[in-house]
Amino acid sequence: MDRNLRELSDEELILEFQQNNTEDAFNILVQRYKNPLTNFVFRFLGEYESCNDVVQETMIKVYRYKDTYSSVAKFSTWIYTIAGNLAKTEYRRQRRRNIFSISNYGEDNKPYDLPDESYRPDVATDSGIKDEIIQKALMKVKETYREAVILRDIQGMSYEEIAEILGVNEGTVKSRINRGRAQLQELLKDIYNE
Amino acid sequence: MENDDKKYEKVINTLKNLKEVKAPENFEADLKRRLNSEKFSKKERKGFWQNIFVPVRLIPSLGLIAAAVVIFFVMDANSEKMDNPFLIEPRVREDLIAVTDYEQLKEEHQKALKKSESLEREKNIPEPKPDQDESKSFRDENTSGRKEQNRLDNLSTEQDLAKDKGKSEGNIALPESALAGISDSIQTNVSAEESSDIIAGERVTKNELNFRQIQLSPKEQKVVNELKTQVQSLEKVNKTQK
Repeated sequence: MDRNLRELSDEELILEFQQNNTEDAFNILVQRYKNPLTNFVFRFLGEYESCNDVVQETMIKVYRYKDTYSSVAKFSTWIYTIAGNLAKTEYRRQRRRNIFSISNYGEDNKPYDLPDESYRPDVATDSGIKDEIIQKALMKVKETYREAVILRDIQGMSYEEIAEILGVNEGTVKSRINRGRAQLQELLKDIYNE
Repeated sequence: MENDDKKYEKVINTLKNLKEVKAPENFEADLKRRLNSEKFSKKERKGFWQNIFVPVRLIPSLGLIAAAVVIFFVMDANSEKMDNPFLIEPRVREDLIAVTDYEQLKEEHQKALKKSESLEREKNIPEPKPDQDESKSFRDENTSGRKEQNRLDNLSTEQDLAKDKGKSEGNIALPESALAGISDSIQTNVSAEESSDIIAGERVTKNELNFRQIQLSPKEQKVVNELKTQVQSLEKVNKTQK
């Protein structure tokens, strides 16, 4: 049964989950999408903790609102749309918090657990400083351009898929990607000169 | 499109070579835990109207409405023009009749009596008088009787007025014992004969009496006539004896 489910496509799995409430089908979808979504959301937010929360929230929404999925669209498009919307909401919330609040992090002497950071690219030493600089540059790119650039150049999606996820036409997607790339090139020119 | 890709080749390669960020190892376990906790604490989503009509949310609005009602009535009460109770004329009590000028009343009463007397005299003058002395004495008696009667009437009216006044204004009322004494003294002065003469002398008019008119049946009229004749005969006998 598990083998058969693994052979199914994303759309077939979500249909199985919709019709028979098969939890295994949902688990396979989670296994397939947890890393791509984490990568996409992390590159968009630049923060691992909130990225993890957003991806989990995305999975919960898929679980809760499985019946709202229509087989007309691709499952990847649907789940990336949910993740993208949640990531944008979280990004705006973080920005508001940074503007209006004074950070008291570590000042209140509360004990907190140290997370396992071995898998974190912003902390890991082998990924080097270059990745950190690129991520910082990516965070400086305008929100709408950044999303399009990540989906195209990091996630490797087609223009058509990106247009569906963002809810705009392909021409808009292309212009957004080009503008985002141009901004990044300008920000990373020092690295390229080296 | 290809030109664009070439133009930003370095950027595209840089982004593609970025290390893929993976989900934490306990991602699925955390997700299951969250899903289970949500299943148990599944709350029914209430509609817009259900959310609005929650008692807790209604309290402030109800308070606001109550305050508005109170303010409205307070403002309305202030706008009313209240009459000064000290400037309102007192209500006239029709059951009480206050007599202020007793002397004037007395005079009016005396005038009325004099008029009636003068009318009676006029009536009495043309009557034939066989005996001058008798008529004189009779007239004197009549006049003295009248005087006494007038006095009696005046006193009785005074007594009535005083009684009435005493009812309405207890402070001014004369003591009844005193009034009774006066009337008794008057009564004693007038003898029984004189009083019978007064009745015979037609000094009592219908106007002065408080009587009730009754239409008599023929039988009753006969009886009355018989009585009248008996009285007249008695009077004649009395006169002859005198």
